[in-house]
Amino acid sequence: MSKTKAFGPGLAGAVVALALAAQPAAAQGWETVRIATEGAYAPWNFSNPDGTLAGFEIDLANTLCERMEVTCEIVVQDWAGIIPSLQSGKYDAIMAGMNITDQRLEVIGFSIPYAGGPHGLAVMADSPLADLPGEGRLSLDSDPDAVAALIAEWTPMLEGKVIGVQGSTTNANFLTEYLGDIVEIREYGTTEQHDLDLSAGRLDGIFAAHSAFNATMQKPEFADMKIVGPGLSGGVLGRGVAVGVRQENEDLRDMFTKAIEEAKADGTIKELSEKWFGLDMTPAG
Amino acid sequence: MTPIGFFEIVGFGERGWGPALLLATSVTLAVAVCGFLVGSVLGALAAAAKLSRSRLAATIGDTYTTVLRGIPDLLVIYLFYFGGSLALTNLGRMLGYDGFLGLPVFVTGALAIGVVNGAYQAEVFRGAYLSLSKGELEAARSVGMSRALMFRRIVVPQVMRYAIPGLGNVWQLALKESALISVIGLVELLRQAQIGAGSTRQPFYFFLAAAILYLALTTISTIAFQKAENRAMRGVRRAA
Repeated sequence: MSKTKAFGPGLAGAVVALALAAQPAAAQGWETVRIATEGAYAPWNFSNPDGTLAGFEIDLANTLCERMEVTCEIVVQDWAGIIPSLQSGKYDAIMAGMNITDQRLEVIGFSIPYAGGPHGLAVMADSPLADLPGEGRLSLDSDPDAVAALIAEWTPMLEGKVIGVQGSTTNANFLTEYLGDIVEIREYGTTEQHDLDLSAGRLDGIFAAHSAFNATMQKPEFADMKIVGPGLSGGVLGRGVAVGVRQENEDLRDMFTKAIEEAKADGTIKELSEKWFGLDMTPAG
Repeated sequence: MTPIGFFEIVGFGERGWGPALLLATSVTLAVAVCGFLVGSVLGALAAAAKLSRSRLAATIGDTYTTVLRGIPDLLVIYLFYFGGSLALTNLGRMLGYDGFLGLPVFVTGALAIGVVNGAYQAEVFRGAYLSLSKGELEAARSVGMSRALMFRRIVVPQVMRYAIPGLGNVWQLALKESALISVIGLVELLRQAQIGAGSTRQPFYFFLAAAILYLALTTISTIAFQKAENRAMRGVRRAA
């Protein structure tokens, strides 16, 4: 299984072509599948200094491709353009910590989820929000009443606070829908940026995936960051992280689904998840 | 991973991102230079159009410089990248080819920088042309120079002389606009810094390193343009 060269054309490729680069569409029968990832979202997917890729999704993609008996080529794509480039045919699938949502389902297809991590709030330990109530796991789908009660309980404490979130994510959708009238939402391009602003005191809290918090809290300067409230999932937060494909490629979607089911059943996903996140994020069901 | 310091992380050791950052810097330089050259061609054509006596040409030139200087650079980049590949793919379909067609990101980026930069360069060239002394042009005509000869011997050398300071400005715009090309996936300096930041979770080190490298590029180009200006102005008396 070859890990493809991750970095763009570079100088050599740069100087070469003023000609059209024609890339053939997906081979019929799927001998080769091109998978896009962000390459900058540790520990899901990230780059090494030499340009090779590593992370949970890279390992997972390799085992899934082995199970599907196809050759995979992993390419790096900036997050903002990751869905348009799938649709225009630059690659065939996305594995980049992307959650299934209704909006995304309107434009692309998804396999079953391969990870379903909880999302929530984090603050600095000395913040007045450090004892924000709530714990355990809450599903926006199956416990709507409990969620409503939680929001009501949070409202007086969160009134007017500034919460950071990565833009164009399910986390941002959650904040807008549930806390949009209560807090001031500030959107960031990446999670690192809101982490920095939290520690700088410019934000009162951040809303992100618990897995992202875990990674951040391993850094010494974030040792006193704290996850508060329950781990939320479902609803606008998405039905878990899955492989995105073009809607017309139902065959490819089903191949990924079958491979993910196998990897869930034999414990591969649990093993990889614990290796990279230190917690089991195997989706339920 | 044990914490590592700035010099180790952006250095050239086993865990250092130095080579990747330097390669990305050269990509930034290459895409900015290509964009600037495309812009010079477009800018010269647009300046000629704006100065032309043909009303149609002048309108086209004006529209180009007004529109391209008036919309955000990022929008131009998106238009070229997504619009371009969509148009090419549809064109391919019409011709019976069913796959994805797109320009390489480097070419897309250089073209996007080029069309925006060309609009600014057009204004620089136009201004430089207008500061030529009318008498010299008349003198050239009166000794029977052909238009081509007059253009080559009289117009171009002096326009270049007056244009250099303005071009230096526009070049820095191109250099900084190249950072926007990161959104379409070209691994230039800013994108490489983002990749490093996201991968090591050490954003400060990478953005600091990128800032230093950008500053190095702009400082060197400022000096180069200053030298070019001095050379172009040799033999021209300046008021003390």
